[in-house]
Amino acid sequence: MKDRPITIAKIDSGIVIDHIPAGKAFLISQVLGLNALARKTGDIIAIGINFESQSLNKKDIIKVENLSLTRNMLNVVALIAPMATVTRIENGKVTEKHKVDVPDSVGDIVVCPDRFCITNHEQVPCKFVIVGKGPLTMRCHYCETEFFGPLIKYKEKN
Amino acid sequence: MNFLGRDIISMNDLTREEINYILSRVPEVQNHPNKASLCNDKVSAMLFFEPSTRTRTSFEVAMRNLGGKIGGFYDANITSTVKEESLWDTVKMHDGYGFDVIVIRHPLKGAARVAAEAADIPVINAGDGPNQHPTQTLLDLYSIRETQGRLDGISIAMVGDLVNGRTVHSLTEALLKYENCRLIFISPRDLAMPRSIIDKCARASIDRGVTFVEAGRIEDHIGQVDVLYMTRIQMERLQERALAEKFRSIYRLEASMLSDAKPNMKIMHPLPRVTEIAQDVDETQYAYYFQQAKNGLLVRETLLALILGAIT
Repeated sequence: MKDRPITIAKIDSGIVIDHIPAGKAFLISQVLGLNALARKTGDIIAIGINFESQSLNKKDIIKVENLSLTRNMLNVVALIAPMATVTRIENGKVTEKHKVDVPDSVGDIVVCPDRFCITNHEQVPCKFVIVGKGPLTMRCHYCETEFFGPLIKYKEKN
Repeated sequence: MNFLGRDIISMNDLTREEINYILSRVPEVQNHPNKASLCNDKVSAMLFFEPSTRTRTSFEVAMRNLGGKIGGFYDANITSTVKEESLWDTVKMHDGYGFDVIVIRHPLKGAARVAAEAADIPVINAGDGPNQHPTQTLLDLYSIRETQGRLDGISIAMVGDLVNGRTVHSLTEALLKYENCRLIFISPRDLAMPRSIIDKCARASIDRGVTFVEAGRIEDHIGQVDVLYMTRIQMERLQERALAEKFRSIYRLEASMLSDAKPNMKIMHPLPRVTEIAQDVDETQYAYYFQQAKNGLLVRETLLALILGAIT
């Protein structure tokens, strides 16, 4: 087996999001607003792509040198990576490790696919209720449109 | 059950019990000894961003019949909306003018929900694009109950533009709260009931004994139904002109087609009708659409009286 020593350094305090399907790390980073968090705090955020994984073959991994992301905030990861795990590390020690749960609702991270929805015409923050988990199905709080699959498009956040 | 100050935005917000409660209060308002002063000193803001005939007029008359007053606008082109004022700001402003209730119609889906969040006073959705029109659905349910004596076990055919018609969406979702209804969706394939609503019907078939079928011809179902709910093709919402022309006259109900109808069958229509019901149907025992429109006044009076606290 070819030796592939590249890895991401351990963090002393922060959050590790592991077991992300390969190719989804940037999307998760976008949905969690990690770029903005990094700019605001100056903390390091490392995104690893295509790491070897026993269960997934290839996986992505995100390490965030910041503890401000709450369990609730991290649950949106489950929309994109249902098998992801979150490890919280404080002063070099693991203080919490958990899977992510699909939330009951999500905020302004998804675009309503209905072009007649008010949220696509005025500055109204989107809200969605999760009405199905397999397949993941959302209902717009405003126009009540239900959608799933490729119609779920995440907002670009800078 | 208390409706004082409550928003009426979507039929999805109302339980079966709440719907029954609203409908059951209609006679009390109609026979109230002080009906003409039930809403004295109350003022309704009418925010109509889109044309309306029946809904607007019946809300106006309802308010007047209860002793209330109205303000607002019926043409967004003469408001600051043309200066790109947001819906949120427009509603916020009216909220602060001392109105007691807002009645809003808007071409965009979800606009009424935004209005309800912007306003402290209650908001009634009088139609938000192709989404919801709850007062129409309440009057439809009232009309069905009036003519059939029940809402459980109703057999109803909905005909026409089922993709764009908000009344058929709301009515279907409302009937799914009742037991053992049979729903027949008759439309051209391009204007079929949205998949999300068909999925809800499928779920309700397990939970509530609902049966449903999608079909193409009225004639095949006239003899089976209690209610024939006709709708017009929503030309203004069809993107392709060619498609609009193709479907303009696809369904036309004529008196000669009603020979197999059950004696209790009633033809309903949210109006306006275009060509889908011939005038010779008006004279038959089955025509109910004008009475249905009148029922809209009764239901809207009741809803206003409940929301404004005139009755409980």
